[in-house]
Amino acid sequence: MQALIQFLTRVGEAALGWLAAWGRILTFGAHALIEAATPSAYNSAMRSVVMKQIYFTAWQILPGFLVFAALLSYVIIQIVVATARDFGLSEFALEMSIRVLVLELLPLLTALFVALRSGAAINTEVALMHINNELAALQASGVDPMRFEFTPRVIGGAVSVYSLTLLSCVLASVLAYVAVYGLQPWALGEFRHVIAKIFTPVALIALTLKSLAFGLAVTVIPMRAGLEAPRMLFFAPIAVLRGMVRLFFVLMLIEVASLSLVYL
Amino acid sequence: MERAPVRAPLIKHLALKVGLLLTLTAVLAVGLLVYVLYARGAFEPTQTVILLADDAEGVSTGMPVTFSGFPIGRVKRLELQDDGHVRIHVAIPEKDARWLRTSSQFVLERGLVGGAKIRAYSAILNDPPLPDGAERTLLSGDATQDVSQILARVKAILANVEAMTAAQSPINETLQNARTITGRMAGEYGVLEGVLGGPDKARRVVDALDRANALLASLQGVSLKVDQTLTRADARLFGAGGVMDQTERAMSQVNAILTDVRASLLKADAILKEAQGAAANVNSITADVKGATTDLALLRAEVDDSITKVNHLINEINRKWPFKRDVELKLP
Repeated sequence: MQALIQFLTRVGEAALGWLAAWGRILTFGAHALIEAATPSAYNSAMRSVVMKQIYFTAWQILPGFLVFAALLSYVIIQIVVATARDFGLSEFALEMSIRVLVLELLPLLTALFVALRSGAAINTEVALMHINNELAALQASGVDPMRFEFTPRVIGGAVSVYSLTLLSCVLASVLAYVAVYGLQPWALGEFRHVIAKIFTPVALIALTLKSLAFGLAVTVIPMRAGLEAPRMLFFAPIAVLRGMVRLFFVLMLIEVASLSLVYL
Repeated sequence: MERAPVRAPLIKHLALKVGLLLTLTAVLAVGLLVYVLYARGAFEPTQTVILLADDAEGVSTGMPVTFSGFPIGRVKRLELQDDGHVRIHVAIPEKDARWLRTSSQFVLERGLVGGAKIRAYSAILNDPPLPDGAERTLLSGDATQDVSQILARVKAILANVEAMTAAQSPINETLQNARTITGRMAGEYGVLEGVLGGPDKARRVVDALDRANALLASLQGVSLKVDQTLTRADARLFGAGGVMDQTERAMSQVNAILTDVRASLLKADAILKEAQGAAANVNSITADVKGATTDLALLRAEVDDSITKVNHLINEINRKWPFKRDVELKLP
């Protein structure tokens, strides 16, 4: 009986702790968003951090990322086109490849790319700053870490993910046109009808919201995970690990939610 | 452990690079939005065609309407009416509306593979253009719906074909006969032989024709002779001193004779009147004769009676006279 009570208590505590952690992430994200929506927050120091974040997250990886996205897109388009031709469904090849790439695959890949590179870096940096009491020091000296450290990173991360997603999607669309019709402008009318069919208002809004949600998740979750690390140096890797697992989980959740929103 | 403060490395043209990236992103985002709006027909005036259908399965908003394989419009809205029918609002850009005429037909096609398609057919492009907001019935051309019926019909047709091509089928027999006839036609007497059924009969026809020809030739000789005879007869009949002249003279003599006959007839009439008087006397005589005749009938009846009796007597005697019959002796 006693054991059962202890077990149930442990389960309850774990669930509460889990819920509290997610609650703290949501609170943190909401706080950052409110800060980002405050015009007075945008001073030169903050803008500088935003620009650096965008530079490191998007600009630095831009060429490599675009080459990667182009290669992947081209291979997938070719597979879809060839398969569609085999089954006698060529007329659906373009629509199919654009739906798969632009609406689903490229936004998720971009988010994963940024999460693995910048998300992990931000997680580590924040964990180390937290462990080294730098954040507390900033707070003590009158500098709000939320305003000058976290919010700029959230903004920078979201803008970067959105920008990279958009660039890769446009690139994939152009590649799809070239792969299906070749380098000639005579199929623009048909292409236009395919685009009109794919990008319904719902699909367009879902794509934008999904991309922004990816951008927020990629920065908010690692930062919050870094802040939750106990102030011991060897907890830093554990904080990064937890943050990345949570991030992956959230990215998949957003993807599934957007899919169900559009297709159900 | 204190972390050494890290100075962010000085980044060259940071603001320019980020600005470039942000501008590119903004331009692409706006461009994409504008292109999507353009593609969806937000910038071109459209007119509406309302299609009425019993069943809108497979029809979805944004679905294209094609004409000759080219998309000319898009389904804008679907609504289910109170009577269970479906109204499909189709937006047609005005520049493509010229393909739709008052005689245009709209067909919803559901293939075995792929989604449904709405197709417009305009047979007569000289008809007046379809007005804005026109209502048309959406015909259904479901490929799968009729497959079972078509299969049943095809089976029946195949059975018929089989019956037609069987060895003993009427068509085969007809063909056989045709072959026999054409075979005969290839013989000496050609079509005649084919029609009549053999070379003998055909030869007979040919012989008959030859004889008819000979007959015609002799007839020609006959008609020549008849001509000569007629000429001569003409001379005899109508020539001077001919038959006609003599006839005329005979006629005048006949007239004179007829006058004499009339006089004779008048005399005969007088005689007849006298005869009538005599006939009255004859009538009275006849009445006497009638009475005598009645007496004669009685006499005859009596004679008959007597004869019957005599007959009877003879019969009796015959019966009673034993030696009258079997006068011959028959020896065993």
